[in-house]
Amino acid sequence: MSFVRRELPTAILALCGILLILEFFIPSPILQAIKSELTTWSVIIAATSCWLGFIYMAYAQLRMLGRNPTTSQYFWFSLPFIFFLLFFIVGVSFPGDVSSPQYRWLITYIYQQVGATVYAVMFFTLSSAAYRTFKVASIEAIALLLGGTIYMLRQIPLFVYICPWLLPLGEWILLVPNAAGGRGAVICAALGALAVGLRTLAGREVTLVEVR
Amino acid sequence: MSSTIWDKLGNIDYRILYALSLILMLIPIIRPIGLPTPVSETVRGFYETIDNLPPGSVVFVSLEGSLSLLDEQEAQYIATLKILFQRDLKVVFYSVTEDGELIYNYLFSVVNPEKYGKKYGIDYVRLGYAPLEERGQAAVALDVRSVYPRDFYGTPLDEIPMMKDIHNWKDVDLLIYYYTSCTNVEFAIRQWVIPYHTKCIVGTLGCCGPMAVPYFPDYIQGILSGSGAGAELEVISGNPGPGAMMNDAKNFGILGLLLFLILGNVSYLGKRFGGESE
Repeated sequence: MSFVRRELPTAILALCGILLILEFFIPSPILQAIKSELTTWSVIIAATSCWLGFIYMAYAQLRMLGRNPTTSQYFWFSLPFIFFLLFFIVGVSFPGDVSSPQYRWLITYIYQQVGATVYAVMFFTLSSAAYRTFKVASIEAIALLLGGTIYMLRQIPLFVYICPWLLPLGEWILLVPNAAGGRGAVICAALGALAVGLRTLAGREVTLVEVR
Repeated sequence: MSSTIWDKLGNIDYRILYALSLILMLIPIIRPIGLPTPVSETVRGFYETIDNLPPGSVVFVSLEGSLSLLDEQEAQYIATLKILFQRDLKVVFYSVTEDGELIYNYLFSVVNPEKYGKKYGIDYVRLGYAPLEERGQAAVALDVRSVYPRDFYGTPLDEIPMMKDIHNWKDVDLLIYYYTSCTNVEFAIRQWVIPYHTKCIVGTLGCCGPMAVPYFPDYIQGILSGSGAGAELEVISGNPGPGAMMNDAKNFGILGLLLFLILGNVSYLGKRFGGESE
């Protein structure tokens, strides 16, 4: 059991990783064909994982319902499935499938509006958070506040109109300190990814195949 | 126990803050301000990269868009489509999120390619949706047909005149990569730019722009970040659109955010260094 759950997936991962790395350094038609095949498989696996997510959601909802089998919980439990069925049935029933006017109506007047509302509400939370929690209590906070404020002011045409120097200053902050710091962070992240990659190839990165 | 002025300044009812934010955003929507929009270097790079393409160049447009976030990128999409259709380019559209094709449906209803004299299958093609994360971008770069054997309407790619000579990265002159998840800019860089040196320009949300800047201009030649950049692209390309109004509304919203930051910090510093009583 341990071999099937740990060693075998690790060996498959390592083999795929080695083949893809070899293809990057050795321009061979065979390796290119293998890479092409592997990437196509991975796209199919990703598509299948959408269904896995659906099953996992159903399982989690069922467990919640088991813990608290009240009427309101039954309502909340059934709501995602009702909408899933509604979108699924409308999506496959009318001519044009997901391009049909019926499906587009659902998307435009339910999905898009709900999504946009949730996103819009974030602005109010952001304002409240900025007011209550962002305090200039340290040098780092002052630097962040100054840089952020200048960059934000640069985004407002009114301020750029009043103070034209905000434009080059905001651009400089974005393109020089931000780019320099960002590049450092990217290099650090790349080195970290390299370390994880090497551990995976060596079969030492068990967290890739085992959830703890 | 009486509270000081600093306490009062730091404890304003959040409903007042929310109402103020709402009013600030509504003012420019009701009465657009229309101040001049300066064009930033990253947006200029985006525009000039498309503008400098030789006639007949092949452009791939990868859309990882979300309908919920459409207001952030709508102006970018519309202005880009207009720029692409105003030029003699071969454009291949594909989407990597479920919402992508719905966004394309909307965009093609706003920017009608026929109005620009463009014909489907000759000047542009829609490949449709596939769940392409990083590995999917790699698959498209290696062989378009491995992911999209047919177009959005079900026609085999080999039966589409424009697609007969388009097979993989060798046939792509420019990748326009739209994304909404900040670190996904690296998908394009790792799978298109680094291995094949494909020219790449990107469009993303306002909050993600600064994370793409470290790759500018060496790996990505242009960046559109948020609705503000959409408005800038409208200005530089001479294609008026919805960006200017969105820009005004968001900018006034930012004004509110700055005001709250100042109030919160005046209260904090007052309590720390100021007097204790009123």
